[in-house]
Amino acid sequence: MEQKAIVMKDICKDFKVLNRHEGLKGSIRDLFSRDFRTVSAVKNVSLTIEKGEIIGYLGPNGAGKSTTIKMMTGVLEPTSGEITVNGNVPYKDRTKNSENIGVVFGQRSQLWWSLPLIESFNLLRDIYMVEKKDYEDMLDLYRSLVDLEPIINKPVRQMSLGQRTLSDILAAFLHNPDIVFLDEPTIGLDVSMKAKIRDLIKGLNENKNTTVILTTHDMGDVDALCKRIIIIDKGQKIYDNDIDHLKSYFGSYRTLSLRLSDDTWEEHLIDESKEDIMQIINEKQQKGGIKDIRLQEISTEEVIKKIYEGGV
Amino acid sequence: MSDKKRDIGFYLSIYRKILIQDLKSKMSYRADFIISTFGMILTNLSGFITFMILFRNFPSINGWDYHHMLFLYGFALVSLTPVQCFFDNNWNLRFHVRTGDFIKYCFRPINVFFYFMSEVFDIKGLGQLAFGIGTLIYAWSHIGLEVTFGSICLMMLYLVTASLFMIAIMNFAAATAFWMEGSGNVMVIMFRFKDYARYPASIFNKIFRVIFTFIIPIAFVAYYPSLAILDPSEAPVMIGIAPIFGILFFFLSYKFWMRGVRRYDFTGS
Repeated sequence: MEQKAIVMKDICKDFKVLNRHEGLKGSIRDLFSRDFRTVSAVKNVSLTIEKGEIIGYLGPNGAGKSTTIKMMTGVLEPTSGEITVNGNVPYKDRTKNSENIGVVFGQRSQLWWSLPLIESFNLLRDIYMVEKKDYEDMLDLYRSLVDLEPIINKPVRQMSLGQRTLSDILAAFLHNPDIVFLDEPTIGLDVSMKAKIRDLIKGLNENKNTTVILTTHDMGDVDALCKRIIIIDKGQKIYDNDIDHLKSYFGSYRTLSLRLSDDTWEEHLIDESKEDIMQIINEKQQKGGIKDIRLQEISTEEVIKKIYEGGV
Repeated sequence: MSDKKRDIGFYLSIYRKILIQDLKSKMSYRADFIISTFGMILTNLSGFITFMILFRNFPSINGWDYHHMLFLYGFALVSLTPVQCFFDNNWNLRFHVRTGDFIKYCFRPINVFFYFMSEVFDIKGLGQLAFGIGTLIYAWSHIGLEVTFGSICLMMLYLVTASLFMIAIMNFAAATAFWMEGSGNVMVIMFRFKDYARYPASIFNKIFRVIFTFIIPIAFVAYYPSLAILDPSEAPVMIGIAPIFGILFFFLSYKFWMRGVRRYDFTGS
């Protein structure tokens, strides 16, 4: 049987949060304070991720996404439950685990700020002890996927946000890890850069069969890259299946857009099994007149919104 | 893939490579480089002038004459160099912790403390080192101390010990950032204390002497080791085992720092 990339069984994570006090006096008191309350960030999450998958890992802010990622990367130890990443228990041997993973976390670059990109790559090669041949093969692969020339000799501090994101992703794949964690890789980028980044992730995943865990709020990322999505909310897994399956759940939903007489567009999300589209159009027509009509299948974005609002 | 050994040689070679690249990039910003070199010379010079003015008015401080004080001054400059050069990133720790940015240091298969400190090499320390060594040699020859293999070795040992004490103090101070918000004040206070290292601890009253010896061991940064070299009969007995204390103190500060990292992970913010 092929080894799973990630297996989590009934994982829980509680945090003890200090009730903080104000002022310098308060912060000195906090140093010795035992005044804790327990916050449960992740509750009984179980999941299995196969090698080579690209998973869309979604959830509203504060749902427990980054806590789960931190447990997968070995930074955090779960309060209870079992976790294995590439067959290893990540928090027991963080060093060994981090050799097999790549991480792009948060918006700040993880590269050496003042060094040209190629020097950062060389340092990473030393840190991860990558063989010369593997390293050169990887750079060749990079060159076939993106145009390295404008950035390879540029210090990170002089790069645009797009170039920096690109560099960070390349750096995360450099030691050919089994799993790469990407946290909102396309945030703040323009449309063409987003497309470039998505193509790059897809290309690397296909070439190296790297498992990619993609945290994002951008449904464009999900549509372009992920077959399967996992949704977490309030610390619990609320959805884990193919994205198509999710859409079929909402198969009877349509987005109806109407251009009214004053040229404004109005959007309605309609469940056809409960409401009659024609009836809604008729009502609107009688009220003030409709200039234009557009009827679309539900978008991923709206599906997710629906789930966040009410669950599946 | 799994059995990669990262020993001390590995870390030294990584540090050397980062350092070379860092210096290269610093020198490529020529104006910046020249200004900071100039600033460095000025800082050292002004410190020295203050010292001279002080001695115009007091021919000796508590039995320490001009050249002995110069020795102490030079000793402090040299022993403060490593903390300035290699551990300066401690000053940025609280910003990384507050913004949540610190997490990025936890994803690499290398020691977090090393990775964090290796990111910054403060070149200003080198001028301080040159200035300190010059002062030490000048004072050494004027006091008429012997130059023997033994005395040089002893000097080196004490300098390393003194550096360890100062590094440890700053590690402790910086690591408070993992627990409390106002850690910047702790660092500034501790860093101010280093100025007291330039004076004979005997000028302070008993309470401060105890504090500077046992609690914030600033007296070990220059006074006790200088005393051991200049006037061994006056030095406290414990100076003989100071190197062991230095190592121990540094080790404790490292452990404290790493405990902070774990705590940072646990609160997750």
